[in-house]
Amino acid sequence: MKITCVIPAWNEEKNIAKVIADVRPYVDEVVVIDDCSQDKTSELATAAGATVFRHPINRGQGAALQTGNDYALSEGADIIVHFDADDQFLSSEIKDMVAPIISGQADIVFGSRFLGKKANLPFVKRIIIMPLAHIFTRLILGIRLSDPQNGFRAMSRSAAESIRIGNREMAHNSEIQIEAFRQRLRIAEVPITVVYHHFGQKLSGGFKVARDLLIHKIIK
Amino acid sequence: MLQQLLAIIIILFFVFRLVIQKKKNLISKNEFFLWLSFWALSAGAIIFIKQIDRLVASLGFSGSGINFLIYLAVLALFYLVFRLRLDLAKMDRNLTEIVRQMTLKK
Repeated sequence: MKITCVIPAWNEEKNIAKVIADVRPYVDEVVVIDDCSQDKTSELATAAGATVFRHPINRGQGAALQTGNDYALSEGADIIVHFDADDQFLSSEIKDMVAPIISGQADIVFGSRFLGKKANLPFVKRIIIMPLAHIFTRLILGIRLSDPQNGFRAMSRSAAESIRIGNREMAHNSEIQIEAFRQRLRIAEVPITVVYHHFGQKLSGGFKVARDLLIHKIIK
Repeated sequence: MLQQLLAIIIILFFVFRLVIQKKKNLISKNEFFLWLSFWALSAGAIIFIKQIDRLVASLGFSGSGINFLIYLAVLALFYLVFRLRLDLAKMDRNLTEIVRQMTLKK
């Protein structure tokens, strides 16, 4: 089974080489989509052994992931793993993420910070943002996941073919989950660790996600 | 009456600008007629404001005709902005697709 790891990256010269080196032992190919970085992300990723593509203009994380998916599918990937470039996920957990797909139990696997493993979530995020996000995703979007705000995921070839990411920015995360539920894919959640180096998405980002999802729904 | 006259003068000014723009080929024929119709309708609404007042009252609204026109204008503006937002989103999506194809072709 060919496992391809897609890493969207924008100005990640500090972390990209380490992330690629960490991920490589667990996958067959690492694909970095450089979303028009202004630093040496592309050069460092190429030197670290990744297959690198560079968007000529910045299009956002969702767009970069779909570019990576398109490439991975064209190269015969059986499983595609989405991994962040900022070194907040543990590469050793990739094998846990792909296991339900390899065993045929799931089509798509979402990482979760709330299934037992330690997550050093920033205080405001834990107390305010995450509960609000949970209410929104569960009641409005119908996503029944323990951690709907997690970008660490793995999908089978057929799942990647059936889910086309239309939201080019941060709303892609909810979009993938909505599609997985809508298409009745077999969904699994796996406990993962997240090491926070920065705050990540703020509350205002959540409103932007809701707005983008609505607009995308209308023009779809 | 004076207000109506002022409004008509302002509309005539915009129509004059429109004709100049068309003469200089800065706007297309369709665009010219679209805006001409818009200003003609606006002028009509101002000239027949008393009749609109009566119509609005007969429909059961308490406000005057000019208020009614302003409500309609605000609604139309909301709609146009919304349409613009959707058009932009579509263009944005197409741009992303072009960028993706260019990226993977290299």
